Amino acid sequence: MNKSPTTTETKKSPGFWRHAWLRFRRKKLSMCALIMVIFLSLVAIFSPMIAGTKPIVCKYKGRLYFPCMAYFNTNWENPIFQKDRFRKRYPKNLKQKDPESWAVWPLIFQDPYRPVRDSEWKDRPANPFNGGEPSRLNIFGTSKGKDVLAMMVHGTRIALLVGFVSTGIAATIGIVVGAISGYFGGWIDIIISRIIELVMCIPSIVLILALMAVIEKPTIWHMMAILGFTSWTGMARLTRGEFLKLKESEFVAAGRSIGAGPFRIMFRHILPNAMAPVMVPIVFGIAAAIKVEAGLSLLGFGAPPPNPSWGTILNAGMTNYTEWWQIVFPGIAIFITILAYNLIGEGLQEATDPRLADPKD
Amino acid sequence: MNIALRFSLLLYFTSLITLLGCSSSELTETATNSTEADSVSSEDEETKEDMQFVLGDLIPEFNPPTKEELGNTEWTDKPVVDVYQLMTDRKENEVAMMTAGEAMAIRNNTPEDNDKIVSAMGALAVDGEIDYSAEWNRHTAADIRSTNPLMISSSAEFDVSGLMSAGLFSFDWNFTPYGNEGALVSWQTSADGLMDMVVMRDDLTWSDGEKITAYDVEFSYQVIMSSTVPIPAVRSGTDQLKGVKAYDEKTLVYFHFEPLATNVWNINFPIIPKHKYENTIADDPTLATSPAHVELDENPVSGGAYTILKRVRGQEIILKRRESYYMFDDQQVRQKPHFETVRFKIIENPNTALLSMKKGELEEMMLTPEQWQSQTIDDDFYKFNTKSYALEWVYYYFGWNFRSPFFKDKRVRQAMSYAFNHQELLEKHRFGMDEASTGIFHRTSPWAPETAPSTYQQDLSKAEDLLAEAGWDDTDGDGVLDNVVDLDANFDGESEGSRRIQFEFTILTSNRPDRIAICELLQENLDQIGIRCNVKPVEFTTLQATMLEHKFHAVFAGWGTGADPDTSENLWTTKAIDNGRNYGCYSNPEIDKLFEQGKRELDLASRRKIYQQIHLTLWEDQPYTWLYFRNAYYAFNKSLRGYNYSPRGPYNYGPGESTIFKSAKMQ
Repeated sequence: MNKSPTTTETKKSPGFWRHAWLRFRRKKLSMCALIMVIFLSLVAIFSPMIAGTKPIVCKYKGRLYFPCMAYFNTNWENPIFQKDRFRKRYPKNLKQKDPESWAVWPLIFQDPYRPVRDSEWKDRPANPFNGGEPSRLNIFGTSKGKDVLAMMVHGTRIALLVGFVSTGIAATIGIVVGAISGYFGGWIDIIISRIIELVMCIPSIVLILALMAVIEKPTIWHMMAILGFTSWTGMARLTRGEFLKLKESEFVAAGRSIGAGPFRIMFRHILPNAMAPVMVPIVFGIAAAIKVEAGLSLLGFGAPPPNPSWGTILNAGMTNYTEWWQIVFPGIAIFITILAYNLIGEGLQEATDPRLADPKD
Repeated sequence: MNIALRFSLLLYFTSLITLLGCSSSELTETATNSTEADSVSSEDEETKEDMQFVLGDLIPEFNPPTKEELGNTEWTDKPVVDVYQLMTDRKENEVAMMTAGEAMAIRNNTPEDNDKIVSAMGALAVDGEIDYSAEWNRHTAADIRSTNPLMISSSAEFDVSGLMSAGLFSFDWNFTPYGNEGALVSWQTSADGLMDMVVMRDDLTWSDGEKITAYDVEFSYQVIMSSTVPIPAVRSGTDQLKGVKAYDEKTLVYFHFEPLATNVWNINFPIIPKHKYENTIADDPTLATSPAHVELDENPVSGGAYTILKRVRGQEIILKRRESYYMFDDQQVRQKPHFETVRFKIIENPNTALLSMKKGELEEMMLTPEQWQSQTIDDDFYKFNTKSYALEWVYYYFGWNFRSPFFKDKRVRQAMSYAFNHQELLEKHRFGMDEASTGIFHRTSPWAPETAPSTYQQDLSKAEDLLAEAGWDDTDGDGVLDNVVDLDANFDGESEGSRRIQFEFTILTSNRPDRIAICELLQENLDQIGIRCNVKPVEFTTLQATMLEHKFHAVFAGWGTGADPDTSENLWTTKAIDNGRNYGCYSNPEIDKLFEQGKRELDLASRRKIYQQIHLTLWEDQPYTWLYFRNAYYAFNKSLRGYNYSPRGPYNYGPGESTIFKSAKMQ
């Protein structure tokens, strides 16, 4: 890929990140994992269009609507579909109340939040409630009447969101705190280091359990926030270490000598050079957050119902081990996702470590 | 063997305890008004520290009559019977539909199969059939905290202490109270209904050889009524007594304030040995911390059929048959208990418990409907076990809080009942096996109205109309109903002015998948008519604390039945809001009045009318949306025989578990 061309003109040497990307691309496993994560992200983004009972787009009484957006936010469902005894049941009501109407339906007519009832869609039978094995209509079986595949498709959104948001929060806090601590040093460093040690002592799972009990209306966002606010310490320490090292280097001294402010030096000059070692724990952090969310949901303290988190499906399966499909499919999904993130993290680690670099590059 | 049955007055609150949220066993938690009132403010606790132990300081002052005065009183006899004999008599009039052997060969797939199995396995032992050397491995989902019968509050503690303690009174499967022939010679009530006199048998002994006397009963009453002794459950009811006095070793008189129909239940409290506690209680009123009391808790002195052999915390409790219970002076004076040892195995996870059943290591457990339906149908299960079910008077409901801005209006509560898909609940979630609940009393209860009110059927249009009538309308066009209502954010009963708010509330439930699924069904139904309902699963202790503080809008929970209808007073009267378990703050002067009348009415027919009226009034008001009665589903090892169900399940009545035995032929 990186074979030097036969031309004699001097090749512009690739930057650090370009270099890392080139090295990363050579790792097959890591690339597969990256493709997997991209695929999962697509599933998450388009989940209402893959599985749902609300049309992707429909024309009703002369206007266009996108009812499937309700899966992202209940408030995005136009009230017209609730009023006048429409009651959010589309297939029959659309035609009945407006024969002129048309609709584009999701690929799978199944709802992650509720069982599909008898004759809701043409003459399709109701989802089996108990012992709903995988079948043609419910490819991954049912869990208390709800289609497991639909739940898993929408559960992807939760899994990925938890990973990104909580790690995003953690990374932001960790990098800023670590940068300040490492750059300024002295008593600021001492205080911040003690705070970091203090936060490390907080058991995030216990904190989540306690807060979920106290909050009147807990949502998945609360959980992400708590996870984020308790898991930034590792990144802060790494950033601090990098800053301690880099602030002594010549380019920092040069910057300072021409009058650059501390924050300009910190975030414009040092940070890009310190990012490589911090990226790795961020990626592993995503995997850890997904695991914690699944674990909490498995215990029944995760995403509040009826959110179809993967762990929630496992929880339902746990009480009834004969319904294996509630354990196997979400189990595989959790496994693959965490594995993918870990592989990416590992690939990144190797790709950004200059000591592991191929001397030919 | 008449195993003592008491604390019959306590309703029990069914919910789960495990963190995993999938426990099958429902913890029977008995929170009572009196104990809650005892631990109110921190001020009280401070003074408690310094407070000296005074035996019986809660007992009202009163001068008991002399023995001569008692002699001049007019007495009427009350029944003193052997409940085992009662069961034998009942069984003589019933013809078993098949033999136990035949019942073992069939599987319980239909209600008819179930009838056959229940009837066959309920047959009592005939001569020579009992294997007296047998051990019975029972399941319990939680460990006991104490072996002291005064300290019981969970179902496991009820079960264990039931086998270990002496009981003067009992009641049968119809909840008719009796004096226990195994402990009493006679039981009489004074003509004015203010006194109950019992004469105890003189062949009762504690397991350390001391005699059980009337002084033990008097002492136990005094301990229960001591403010420094932390009694979790059994003070309720006992505190309705005016006094208890032992006139000699055998003669005991209970005094009442008023001639109430509930007096027969109030005299029923557990007994502890006076000679063991009288000298140590002053140093340690908790009965749990001093070395002497710790030792007593480890090796309790038992007054009942069994005594503790070994106890491994978190694992098992082994009880041993006590010879001195049924033998006295080398004579058999009571029925010999049927098991040599009873072993309670503590297994929290219901799946693990079921696997132990399938291996034959456990011989009894309560099943979840899900286990009944799909995990106990294979050869693995039927190799060692069989299963049966029976109606139990445990109802589940959505409770609406009257202090919530949403549910003050009766029409809103009725709309909730109309909005919910009862049919799907019963057919799908309850597997079509449980019966719909039509109010606080089951239709087979004597206290239920002759014609039960008809059940609610889902009718979203009717729900929408009722909500519109109550003023709920989507005025801002966002798809969620809104209305101007009185606010009470602290749930303290004081209005904070009125404002227009959205109809969005949170329903609490304990953290179990089957219960969450039922709340999700409500959520789905309400979503269709423009009401946002959030489901919040919480841990059992949190749920209980929140309910006690009335800080919730709605809750999904269940109630068991007490032996007397008066126990419901604790749930529905105005005074029970602050001092009981009226969590939803329901208040209706008519109901308050009826409960007072019901307590005082001694004529059965008139008393029945009063409770029927209560039932109908509550149904009309719909403070709950009543959902279903949960059957008792049990799995038993094939070697066990003689189990019969009451509306409180197979154990919590007389003779209950004492008829259960292992067949010698099976061994």
